[in-house]
Amino acid sequence: MGELRQEARAAWAIARKELQVFARYRLNAVNQVIQPLYQTLIPGVLLGATFAIGGQAVGLAETAGTTDIVGYLFLGMLALNLASAGFWSVAFSIKQELDAGTLEPAWLTPTRRETFVVGMTAAGLVLAVIATVILVLIGIWLFGADLAPRLLIALPVLAISAFGVLGIGYLVGALVLRMRDANFFVDAADFIFVALSGAAFPIVVLPDLVQWVSYLLPTTHALDLMRVSALDTPPLLPLPIEWLLLVVTSAALLVVGRAAWLRTEHRLRVRGTLGQH
Amino acid sequence: MNAASVIADARAFWAATRKEWRILRRYPGNLLSFIFWPIALPLAYVFQAQAFSGGRDDTMAAFMERTGTNEVAGFLFVGWATYMWLSIVLWGPGTALRTEQIRGSLEAIFLTPASRLVVLFGPAISQLVWAVWIFVVVGVALWIGFGVSIGPVEALRALTVIVVGVPALYAIGALFGAVVLRFGEVHALVQGVRGLFTAVCGMSFPIIVLPDWAQVVALSLPPTYLIADLRAVLLTGSGVGRILGDLAILAGMGAVLAVAAVVAFRRTELHARRGGRLAQY
Repeated sequence: MGELRQEARAAWAIARKELQVFARYRLNAVNQVIQPLYQTLIPGVLLGATFAIGGQAVGLAETAGTTDIVGYLFLGMLALNLASAGFWSVAFSIKQELDAGTLEPAWLTPTRRETFVVGMTAAGLVLAVIATVILVLIGIWLFGADLAPRLLIALPVLAISAFGVLGIGYLVGALVLRMRDANFFVDAADFIFVALSGAAFPIVVLPDLVQWVSYLLPTTHALDLMRVSALDTPPLLPLPIEWLLLVVTSAALLVVGRAAWLRTEHRLRVRGTLGQH
Repeated sequence: MNAASVIADARAFWAATRKEWRILRRYPGNLLSFIFWPIALPLAYVFQAQAFSGGRDDTMAAFMERTGTNEVAGFLFVGWATYMWLSIVLWGPGTALRTEQIRGSLEAIFLTPASRLVVLFGPAISQLVWAVWIFVVVGVALWIGFGVSIGPVEALRALTVIVVGVPALYAIGALFGAVVLRFGEVHALVQGVRGLFTAVCGMSFPIIVLPDWAQVVALSLPPTYLIADLRAVLLTGSGVGRILGDLAILAGMGAVLAVAAVVAFRRTELHARRGGRLAQY
C-alpha cells in the first residue's frame, strides 16, 4: 500500500511537471484549445450548412437523430481531446526526454517505468478536460448549442474512458521508444482513432466492416453515451450494452497497452538502446 | 547581374533542392504521410458529408445549388488537396529558414554569395514534387474510389490556375520567411493564419454559406480564388475564359504581395545583420 502511494505521488509529480512545461508556452496552450475550433468544427459546421434545408440539418437527423450540428460536433471534440491525451501527451513527452537525454537518468530513479506513462497521461487528461469544457462553453455561448443540463453524465464516462486513454498512452510510449521518430504513425493513428470514434460524423455512415472496428474503441461508446444524454440522439446499441462495452474496451486497451509497454521496456534494457534517439 | 551569376544561382538552387530531397528521403515515415493524408483527410469529410446529406434528394439538391457541382467527393478532395499544397508553399520557406536557424547553419548560408531567393525558395522547390504527388494521389483516389475522372484538358486548365496563383502564394511564403528572421518562433502565427484560411477560404464548403463579413475576408485572400477556380476547371468543366476575372485578381494580388515580400525580406535581413540576430533563435 505504501509503495502504491509513493508511485501515485510520483505520477502526480510527473503530471505537474508536464503541466508546468505546457503552461510556459502560453500561445501554444491557447492554440491547443482553439485549434479544433478552426480545424474541425468550423469547416464541419459550414459543410453542414451546405446541405441544410431552411437552416435545418435534416440530413443529420436521418443519420444521427438530431438537427443540432453544432452540439453534435462540439461534443465530438471530447473524443478528439481524449485521444490527443493518450496519443500526443505521451508521445511528445517521451520524445522530448529522449532528445534532451533525460529519459535514461529519469529511469534510474526508483520510480516504476509505468508510472512515467501514468503521469504523462494524467497531464494529458487534465488538459483534455479543460479544453473540452472550454470548447463546449464556446459551443453553448457563441454557437447556440443546447447541451448544458444533462452533461453530468460526462463524469462517469470520463472516469472509465481514462483507463482506455492510459492504455493508448502505453501503446504510444512503446511505439515511440521502438521507432524513435514515430510522429507520422502517432498522428495517423490519432486521426483514424478520432474518425472511427464518430467525432465528426455518426459511425453508421462508415462501411460495415469499419463500423465493427469503431465498436472496439472506448471513445465510440463514451461519445455516444454523452450524445444520447445531451442531444437525445438514439443510442448505437442498448444503453446497458454501451456502458458494458465502454468498460470492457477501456480495460482491454489498458491490458494490451501495458503488455506492449512492458515488453518494449524489457527489450530496451536487454539491448541497452534507451539513450538512442 | 550577369549570366555567370545567374548560372551560379541556378546551380545553388539545384543544390539546395537536392539537399532537402535527401533529408526527406532519410525519414521514410514522412514519405508515407504523403500518401496517407491526401486520402485520409478528405475522406473523413466525405463521410461527414454523407452524414449531413442523410441520403436525401433535397439535401443533395441544396449542395448542388450552393456549390455548382454534385460531385461531393470531388469537391472535398480538390479543396483539401489544394489546402495541403498551400500549406507546403506557404510555410515551406519560413520553416526552412527556421530549421537552418535552429541547426545554426543560417549565418553560414548567408555568408555565401548565393542569392537570397536560393535560401528562401531552394528548399521549397523540392517540396513542389510532393505537391504534384498530392494531386496525383487525389486524382487516382477520386478515379478509383468515386469514379470521378480528370482528363488531360482539365488537368491543363488546373495547371494554368496553379501557375497564375504561384506568385501570390510564394510571396506570402516569403513574407513568412521575413517574420521568421525577425521573430524566430512563429508556430502560433502559422497556426493562426492556417486557421483563418481553413475557416474562410472554403476547403470544405462554398464561401456562399459564410456570413457577409466573412465572405469579404475570404475574397481578400488568394487561396479562396485558387480553390474556387481549381474546382471550377476540374469539376464543372469551366474553361479558363470563364474564370479570367478571378485569375486577373489572383495575378494582381501576386504582384502586390511580391513587392511587399521583397521589401519586407530585405528590411528584415538588414535588421538581422546589423543587430547580429541571424544566429539567434
